[in-house]
Amino acid sequence: MAYSLSLSLLYLGLLCGNGLVSARGSELFAPDPNGGPHFTGCRSREQETFRCWWSAGTFQNLTEPGALRVFYQTKHPLFSEWQECPDYTRTVENECYFNKTFTHIWTSYCVHLRSVPQNITYDVDCFTVENIVHPDPPIGLNWTLLNVSRSGLHFDILVRWAPPPSADVQMGWMSLTYQVQYRVRNASQWEMLDLESGTQQSIYALLTDKEYEVRVRCKMSAFDNFGEFSDSIIVHVAQIPSKESTFPTTLVSIFGLIGVVILLVLLIFSQQQRLMVIFLPPIPAPKIKGIDPELLKNGKLDQLNSLLSSQDMYKLDFYHEDPWVEFIQLDLDDPAEKNDGSDTQHLLGLSHSGSSRILNFKSDDDSGRASCYDPEIPDPEDMASLLPGHSGRGEQHPLVSRSSSSIPDLGVQQTSEVVETPVQIQPAVPSWVNMDFYAQVSDFTPAGGVVLSPGQLNGSPEKKKEDENEKKKIQFQLVSDGAYTSETTARQFPADVPPSPGPEQGYQSFPTLAVEGNLWNGEYLVSASDSQTPYLLPEAPPVPILPPVSDYTVVQEVDAQHSLLLNPPSSQPTVCSHSPNKHLPAMPTMPMGYLTPDLLGNLTP
Amino acid sequence: MNRVKVLQVWLCCVSLWRFWVSHAVPLDCKDETGSLTHCTSISQEKLLDRVIQHAELIYRVSEESCTLFEEMFVPYPLHALRNQGGNVCHSQPFPIPSSKSEIQQISDKWLLHSVLILVQSWMEPLIYLQTTLDRYDDAPDALLNKTKWVSDKLLSLEQGVVVLIRKMLNEGILTSSSAIEQTLAPYDGQSPEVLESVLRDYNLLTCFKKDAHKMETFLKLLKCRQSSKLSCLSH
Repeated sequence: MAYSLSLSLLYLGLLCGNGLVSARGSELFAPDPNGGPHFTGCRSREQETFRCWWSAGTFQNLTEPGALRVFYQTKHPLFSEWQECPDYTRTVENECYFNKTFTHIWTSYCVHLRSVPQNITYDVDCFTVENIVHPDPPIGLNWTLLNVSRSGLHFDILVRWAPPPSADVQMGWMSLTYQVQYRVRNASQWEMLDLESGTQQSIYALLTDKEYEVRVRCKMSAFDNFGEFSDSIIVHVAQIPSKESTFPTTLVSIFGLIGVVILLVLLIFSQQQRLMVIFLPPIPAPKIKGIDPELLKNGKLDQLNSLLSSQDMYKLDFYHEDPWVEFIQLDLDDPAEKNDGSDTQHLLGLSHSGSSRILNFKSDDDSGRASCYDPEIPDPEDMASLLPGHSGRGEQHPLVSRSSSSIPDLGVQQTSEVVETPVQIQPAVPSWVNMDFYAQVSDFTPAGGVVLSPGQLNGSPEKKKEDENEKKKIQFQLVSDGAYTSETTARQFPADVPPSPGPEQGYQSFPTLAVEGNLWNGEYLVSASDSQTPYLLPEAPPVPILPPVSDYTVVQEVDAQHSLLLNPPSSQPTVCSHSPNKHLPAMPTMPMGYLTPDLLGNLTP
Repeated sequence: MNRVKVLQVWLCCVSLWRFWVSHAVPLDCKDETGSLTHCTSISQEKLLDRVIQHAELIYRVSEESCTLFEEMFVPYPLHALRNQGGNVCHSQPFPIPSSKSEIQQISDKWLLHSVLILVQSWMEPLIYLQTTLDRYDDAPDALLNKTKWVSDKLLSLEQGVVVLIRKMLNEGILTSSSAIEQTLAPYDGQSPEVLESVLRDYNLLTCFKKDAHKMETFLKLLKCRQSSKLSCLSH
């Protein structure tokens, strides 16, 4: 009931006092359109007292004091009547002051501005005291520096204040919240911070070298009315010229560099060998296979010699140096041809064969037999033809005396030869045409003469052998020692073969030829009788009975392969099965049929 | 003579026992199931602080609710009503001091009892307000949540004040809220959007805000008295 009554009263007030009812009780004053007297505001500072102010407006006749009076009415149960302002402030014009006794909280007040004589109420204002409280500004505002940024451009401060002394915060009568504002000095806009219920606030990121103003105000918690601002304080921090700490950075960089350099040096030293190999690869030193370089430096001469001689390279080179040496061989397997005409005859052009060949001495086709030193089985007939004293033939060696007695003759035609008869070289001009150019020296007479071995015999050796088989056999035994014979073997010959004068011997072996074994390689003909035990060389394999062969031959041709052809090449390539290495004596090799100057020195006894 | 002595002794014992019981027995607490269990004891200062926190929160939330409602439903010219603090708030059964001087003169007992009465007087209207606000078509959820929260917090505040009374004043108080009967405006059945109902609700919110401020002030004054009486009474 009372509720609805109050509501209806409210409606009346709304309808009638449309212009009068305004949002009074706060600082917002709706201007009176009529210009009459009105309340300018009612405020309380500490929620214990409050004041109201009014103005006469345009009504000049109401300006004298006492013309307008304030009456108020509370909804207090005890004070329901209209009462007049308890205290008109003397010092301040048009102010009504309500002290503690007249101030009731949580009670709504309505103040009226009246002119008593006319009994006109010009203005009404209703409020409750707590809603018009505007606290006093805080006091004791100060600031302290929190820190300065590393760059020296910004700084933080802490602002402190105290609550207004009029507000009884201690008792809890009023609980205040504060608001701090700051700005750069003389700027237009204030920076506002959040509400703070405490009495301090920190401000961050202020710029150095700039002056700031800071101020604070407060209000009651959960109410809207802020009090006045406090006095501003000036905040200023001078910019400290920060010495750029470049010093540490340079130090760090220097130390880092030194560390890296040390690491590199250690690495290089630890891996020195490998690096040396990579960057400076070793040059391979010359080296002979199979030969210890130390031996070359410190070894003895004969060791060296033996070593060197056993080298393939050496031998091959030697052999390759003298390829022509290998190809000179005797070919005596065609006596008929020889009978037809000896070389000399051919040489001289008197041969009935008419061959213009210089050397008719037939020799085997020795191409391909370069390294083989199997002595050719000389054709005894060829040999016989070579030998001077062929009376049958009428050939006579120019070097050989015609005294056929001193010359052993193979042929039957030989009648008698005297071994010891000194050889006399008798120049027989007409007769030497039929003689061979060369003859083998078989013996030396004590008088200094040369005993030549008989040349090629006529007829087949086989026939002759058959004829005189009981007397003599001319067994030509070639020392198959690779066409070489050693000195010792040569010496054996005279030892084993007693000189048997007489015609049965084909020729005299050369007992006194000590050195002579070196002369003719491979052409040593050893005549052995039946009674004699074969005095083969101990190291030589059994030599087959070979037809007599001339002791020497003449180079006829040199073929394309630098091989000397003693006879024109016939289809008789022979392959030597022996390798030259087998038959090498310990002595250095000697050319066949050729006398080198150094070997000539060996000849002289 | 002996009988008298025995009787005195017995009386002393009884009174002492009562005194001992009221002090030594821990406060009765109710857990979730509702059975009485022993509570963990709390000091009086801490309890008072918690009660004050509750009151402060309630007051703040009530102020926010009033602002929300005012922005949403109340026409602008009528915003001045707010400053008037609610013209028609339900009256209290006993006079509540309204000035600081008066309040300073009130004893602790009166303060606590005043708070309790206030709390208990607002429990029902808030429930009513909740139902009323639900009927609004476009009532913001924040407003509804706040009113609901306030109702819950009010209950716990009441419990705290009861315990405080028991501790400080050594009195046992019934916690039923039916002790004080409120005369509320009956529900008219009108649509809530009518200005009248809006104003009514607005008035309710304003009154509640005022009373919440009262509660907070009383409790803070009480706290001040507990710490140092002289400074509180000097004003």
